[in-house]
Amino acid sequence: MKNESTVIDVPAESSSAMKGSAPLIGVARDHTTNGSGGYKRGLSIFDFLLRLAAIIAASVAAGTMFTSDETLPFFTQFLQFEAGYDDLPTFQFFVIAMSMISGYLLLSLPFSVVTIVRPLATAPRLLLLVLDTAAMAFNMAAASSAAAIGYLAHNGNQNTNWLPICQQFGDFCQKTSGAVVSSFVSVVFFIMLVVLSGVALKRH
Amino acid sequence: MAKESTTIDVGEPSTVTKSSSHVAVDEKKKGFVAAAAGGGYKRGLTIFDFLLRLAAIGITIGASSVMFTAEETLPFFTQFLQFQAGYDDFPTFQFFVISIAIVASYLVLSLPFSIVSIVRPLAVVPRLILLISDTVVLTLTTAAAAAAAAIVYLAHNGNANTNWLPICQQFGDFCQATSTAVVAASISVVFFVLLIVISAIALKRH
Repeated sequence: MKNESTVIDVPAESSSAMKGSAPLIGVARDHTTNGSGGYKRGLSIFDFLLRLAAIIAASVAAGTMFTSDETLPFFTQFLQFEAGYDDLPTFQFFVIAMSMISGYLLLSLPFSVVTIVRPLATAPRLLLLVLDTAAMAFNMAAASSAAAIGYLAHNGNQNTNWLPICQQFGDFCQKTSGAVVSSFVSVVFFIMLVVLSGVALKRH
Repeated sequence: MAKESTTIDVGEPSTVTKSSSHVAVDEKKKGFVAAAAGGGYKRGLTIFDFLLRLAAIGITIGASSVMFTAEETLPFFTQFLQFQAGYDDFPTFQFFVISIAIVASYLVLSLPFSIVSIVRPLAVVPRLILLISDTVVLTLTTAAAAAAAAIVYLAHNGNANTNWLPICQQFGDFCQATSTAVVAASISVVFFVLLIVISAIALKRH
């Protein structure tokens, strides 16, 4: 068995000057100004602003529907001379749902701030994404069912003999329609929030 | 400066030729395992995503077809109400049928993206596409289901204040079919929420 051997010369480092000037290995990187965290922080700031806008849209929807009472100066034989959101269970659901959505958005603001401060953390973003998806579905359900009732109130249904009440209650119909539109705007904001969280979550 | 030197003994090369292909396969295996270790749970999540999509296809097609065939003709007729009820008597139900059908066809078209995510668990672009389009379709499904639910509620209970009479007392089968369709659409909404959450979890960095 033949042994192959080789000789390696290792120069001895005896100069203290050389040792002293050895550079630091691994400069401490400031995670808050990391390159990959830069655009994520921008996305989080946009997310925060979207949340503020969605709070406004949702609370406007709830408030408008809540104050959409109308009393007619006359009365007819068949129709009530008063119309309010509590006459229709769907509108009651709408007011309650939009109030809950506004409250949820207010409570989610701190989480959004956390994602601005720590743009690379995934847990707050994932939590926000899951909760935003559920809240978006809830919001859309309220908006859509109120829209269906609003459509009925405007047009009625000949086949079932459901008369359109908007012909008597013009202001009531106008306010409820405005509330529904505001609620749909809030849904659009939620969609953008979910997509934002998804994009900010992805790996590089 | 003292020179330090050291001697390293290298054993002789074996006479048995090393099978280089064996080494290559080992390295390939290592590379594959390394990829699977990072993509292991993601692949599992995506398989669950694929199965959820198949279930959602079944449910949405069921909902749309049940609503489409929800007709009833009464053997008698009354003075005020029609003696026939079908989904096309209600614009909301028409919207329901069309939009749930659109959702079902979207789900079928999204199956290839899901398969791509299974095959390449670490790829970001297919998952992001699925997340964004699932969000939009969730919105459409919820809209259809909620609007139809509002009309079904009215049909069951009516409204005393607006003098809207509940028609379910005459059209029992029609009401039953439409209620079933609404329930099926709501279940598909839950599936969509799960799909979005799965995509988000699979997207995130380690």
